[in-house]
Amino acid sequence: MATTTATLSVSSNVMSYPTVINKSMKMMKFQSCHGLEETSGLRTKKFTATAAAVVVEQDEFAATKAAKVYMRNTSSDKAHFFYVAKHASAAASGTAAVTLGRLHGGDWMLIPYLADVNITVASSSTDPVVLEYIVFGTSA
Amino acid sequence: MATTTATVSISSSDLQPGNTLSINASSTIMQTGLTTGLELMDMGIGHLRQDSARDALAEATGTIDTTNWVYICNNATDDTFFIKVGIHETVIGNLGAGDWMWMPWNMGHADNEINIEAEPTGATIPYEYAIFKSTDTLPASDAA
Repeated sequence: MATTTATLSVSSNVMSYPTVINKSMKMMKFQSCHGLEETSGLRTKKFTATAAAVVVEQDEFAATKAAKVYMRNTSSDKAHFFYVAKHASAAASGTAAVTLGRLHGGDWMLIPYLADVNITVASSSTDPVVLEYIVFGTSA
Repeated sequence: MATTTATVSISSSDLQPGNTLSINASSTIMQTGLTTGLELMDMGIGHLRQDSARDALAEATGTIDTTNWVYICNNATDDTFFIKVGIHETVIGNLGAGDWMWMPWNMGHADNEINIEAEPTGATIPYEYAIFKSTDTLPASDAA
């Protein structure tokens, strides 16, 4: 059994008193106390166009289980962002119902993934921007 | 200006044999204008019951296609209890016992609420959440 640990720390002064979130989790198989044993490995992809592209294919991991996806926009420029969507082929745009959100330069996300539909991204810029990502899961 | 910083560390010494995994990242989250920090937030805790079906944790009441961030944690200790997390009709994934998530949310459509649902049958799941927003509009009162 593999052990993969993810730790989150959020600090904010939005309110008049400090807000601090500290959480740690071990990535487990679905409804299990055993750790996830498979990963896509850390990937990087350079985008030089705004067309949406599939970065995670649904059939890489078992559907409706406990997969997780980490993504980070490695750009140092906040103006360069990716739309991230759950969709079969494209449609990562600002107003699409399947778009989750924007990942601006330096932003990262870690989400559970049902692995039932592809994950697509679309860069906001034709300037080169590199996305790094990794999937944790179990076999399809 | 408010400043909100999110940091993550992901590590494993045995997931990839012979290759220790170590990912570290930190980001100061900004409004869509890119120079101002997010200045609105909601946070809270609750218990999610399986028989309440799918519940809206947050409605998309801000400006469409803006920068917002969502944190949700499943605080259950029973390994079989999980929370289905979705945006409107799109189920994102299953948040297992002890799991947390950190996700951008652009409110790309007025119907794109964040929703959560407890599973399996009979489960009551303690959870906590925080949502950092660029904008928000309070719903109109129904009072006459």
